[in-house]
Amino acid sequence: MDPGPYEAAPLPIRADLAAAHRRARDHLARPGTWWSGAERVALMVEARNAPQCKLCRARKEALSPTVISGAHDSLGELSDIAVEVVHRIRTDPGRLTRGWFDDVIRAGLSPERYVEIVSVVAHTVALDTFARGVGLAGLPLPRPSDGAPSRYRPPGAKPGPAWVPWIEPEDLTDAEAGIYPMSRPPANIHRAMSLVPPEVRSFFDLCEHMYFGPLEMRDFEHEFRAITHAQVELLAARVSALNRCFY
Amino acid sequence: MPYGALLIAFAEAVLGEDDARLQQTRSALRQALGDAALVDAAAVVGFFNAIDRVADATGIPLDPERVPQTADLRATLGIDAFTQNRV
Repeated sequence: MDPGPYEAAPLPIRADLAAAHRRARDHLARPGTWWSGAERVALMVEARNAPQCKLCRARKEALSPTVISGAHDSLGELSDIAVEVVHRIRTDPGRLTRGWFDDVIRAGLSPERYVEIVSVVAHTVALDTFARGVGLAGLPLPRPSDGAPSRYRPPGAKPGPAWVPWIEPEDLTDAEAGIYPMSRPPANIHRAMSLVPPEVRSFFDLCEHMYFGPLEMRDFEHEFRAITHAQVELLAARVSALNRCFY
Repeated sequence: MPYGALLIAFAEAVLGEDDARLQQTRSALRQALGDAALVDAAAVVGFFNAIDRVADATGIPLDPERVPQTADLRATLGIDAFTQNRV
């Protein structure tokens, strides 16, 4: 029998991968840094709801998403601006712009709360896309844990070349230990969510088990999966092209 | 690359909305490469479908060491003009 959360899967799921998904699901249900556990689960539910939103579908079809106005088909648990962020990241990430981000911040969402939404949506997409790939239903929603968000803002976080503030390696404190790889300087994708350090730790835990760890990634002498490095990179490149990811 | 076309078809089907196509592609991949390869392929597709969103939603630029490495490729594809439009 496979370990949870895939005990009933019709094909064997690697134990380390299943355990990473269990940790990610549990992470989503716990109080975060800027959102409560219940709010984080609501963000997860809204991320799952977004692909059915009529406004998002119309925007996706349009030459520019900004020419289509209207209201999202939301589940009513979150503020309008949070719903806008969740839906746009879930359904049309390749056409997000700095101007859109600035409007979101002007509407009252802090960069810290924004980054945590990015993380919750990304975790949800990773888990749900995997499930669709292997032919499973998405994991059942986790039960949110009680407790208050920590509201910890890294003292070294500052504006950089990204839309959101981030932490340079030399500005890390003990509280952010372990968010960057030890073997080499962090890539910008590692820095991207460092304004909310626990989200970096959790997301790159998923990375190690769904893709590669930092050492495995560049170790072309050995294979670590049932598909080769080259096949892994072909998949990654095709997905990123389909998503029109410029990075 | 061995099974390259099949892997690309699988990635496209997972991100698409045609469930019948996905089922067909999944079965073909499973038959050709086995259960473990299907799991690993789905994991990669899932992770990159997520990390692309992190990159796009935070507005991170290309890593500095990649700028010279990719200059010719970016010029050929016109990608720099695309990123300049993300303002």
